[in-house]
Amino acid sequence: MDSDSIVDIIIRQIRDVVPELEDHPIGRADAMADLGVDSVERSEIIIATMEELGLDIPMVKLHGPRNIGELADLLHAKRAA
Amino acid sequence: MTVDATPAVGIEAMNVYGGIASLDVRELCTHRGLDMPRFENLLMQEKTVALPYEDPVTFAVNAARPVVDALTPEEKARIELVVTCTESGLDFGKSLSTYLHHYLDLPGNCRLFEIKQACYSGAAGLQMAVNFLLSGTSPGAKALVVTTDLSRFALADANAVQEWAYSEPSSGAGACAMLVSGTPHVFRIDPGAYGNHAFEVMDTCRPGPDTEAGDADLSLMAYLDCCERAYKDYARRVEGADFRETFGYLCFHTPFGGMVKGAHRHLMRKLYKAKPPEIEADFAARLGPSLAYGKRVGNTAGGSIFLALAGVVDTVDLTAPQRVGVFSYGSGCCSEFFSGVVSADGQARLRTMGISEALDRRYRLSIDEYEMLLKGESVVRFGTRDATLDHGILPEAWARFQVGQHLVLDAVVGYHRKYRWV
Repeated sequence: MDSDSIVDIIIRQIRDVVPELEDHPIGRADAMADLGVDSVERSEIIIATMEELGLDIPMVKLHGPRNIGELADLLHAKRAA
Repeated sequence: MTVDATPAVGIEAMNVYGGIASLDVRELCTHRGLDMPRFENLLMQEKTVALPYEDPVTFAVNAARPVVDALTPEEKARIELVVTCTESGLDFGKSLSTYLHHYLDLPGNCRLFEIKQACYSGAAGLQMAVNFLLSGTSPGAKALVVTTDLSRFALADANAVQEWAYSEPSSGAGACAMLVSGTPHVFRIDPGAYGNHAFEVMDTCRPGPDTEAGDADLSLMAYLDCCERAYKDYARRVEGADFRETFGYLCFHTPFGGMVKGAHRHLMRKLYKAKPPEIEADFAARLGPSLAYGKRVGNTAGGSIFLALAGVVDTVDLTAPQRVGVFSYGSGCCSEFFSGVVSADGQARLRTMGISEALDRRYRLSIDEYEMLLKGESVVRFGTRDATLDHGILPEAWARFQVGQHLVLDAVVGYHRKYRWV
């Protein structure tokens, strides 16, 4: 699975956690905070994405990305590691 | 669980002090222009705001006094350890416990010290007291453990309000006093039933006396990692422990209720692959009662798990004793999951403290009054040598001190804080 497929998973999880964003365009360059996703919701989206990817690592290892694309790249790298 | 053969130890009596003034958190968020479309999910209502003549000592003493006053002189003479648990200390050397010792008129043969590890301090203090008693070196001794924290960060400078923005709505003030002994009426600890998880992380810190800095996402991630791993360490030590079955109620460190909800959801998914409806019902049943006081005073740091415990003991049906699982997390970071048993006897005792009624009596600040306090012109800053406090700053708030006896800060003379009962 490449980074773009992981972006698709993240976006699906965002819409699942925050139904208000169902019809809102979301892409790699967007930051979840700018979309109005609060910190608890952000963690929930990351947890759900990790589950879907079968990734079981400490959450603090996923801190740092500034947008959805960077998060997908990091998840991709962790998965490959 | 087989814990009956071990000696009884735990909390004999406790009290929560939630100050004299409060602020409506939704009003604050609206005023700050914070876009919180799903504010309800954060489970916040009010927060306690410390007045200029209140400080960590007044909060601590006001929490502890009813607990100490209920003792006979013989019982009081057995308080041999006073631990203050705080990240709001007033001096790098002298601990708050020395002031408590004086204003509570405690015996001289006593250990006095202070514990710091962000919001984990209270759990650390309780465990130190419990283990002192379990050591059996002074049979019949009692310990007084008091958590006390308040937030006054924003007064550092104009930029501080900006830096503080992410946690301002949840930052509260409060103290919890616990008498720990071999007659644990309120919370009987399960000795040896605990689990820890700790690692170095820079998620939230207090780099200066009046400043707080942090990263909300990193802090939440560290909290979630710790919640899962501290519980798993507990389960490793305690044969037959089952997160879903072992605990009638749960108390998690509560920066705000929404964070607790997120951690509970994380754990239920990780441990049981539970589905949303089950998680929601379980949260309401087992964690809902723990939010009773936290949502009214805000985050009380080291005391938040004990405010949660007081909320459970005060509000749930204890016809049959219940085991409570407690999770404490302190940034930086250290965490612990431990447990104990609460019963109807403890409930009757705790209710005599009238915690909820005291919170009802607080003065509700307007946003203008809150902003005036935040500017901090009348606040005694860390390291102040001499000062005299103005008790007339908010006459309507001062009037709330007419019920019961309260300690207030009067003056600072040569760095020495002088307090007075009103």
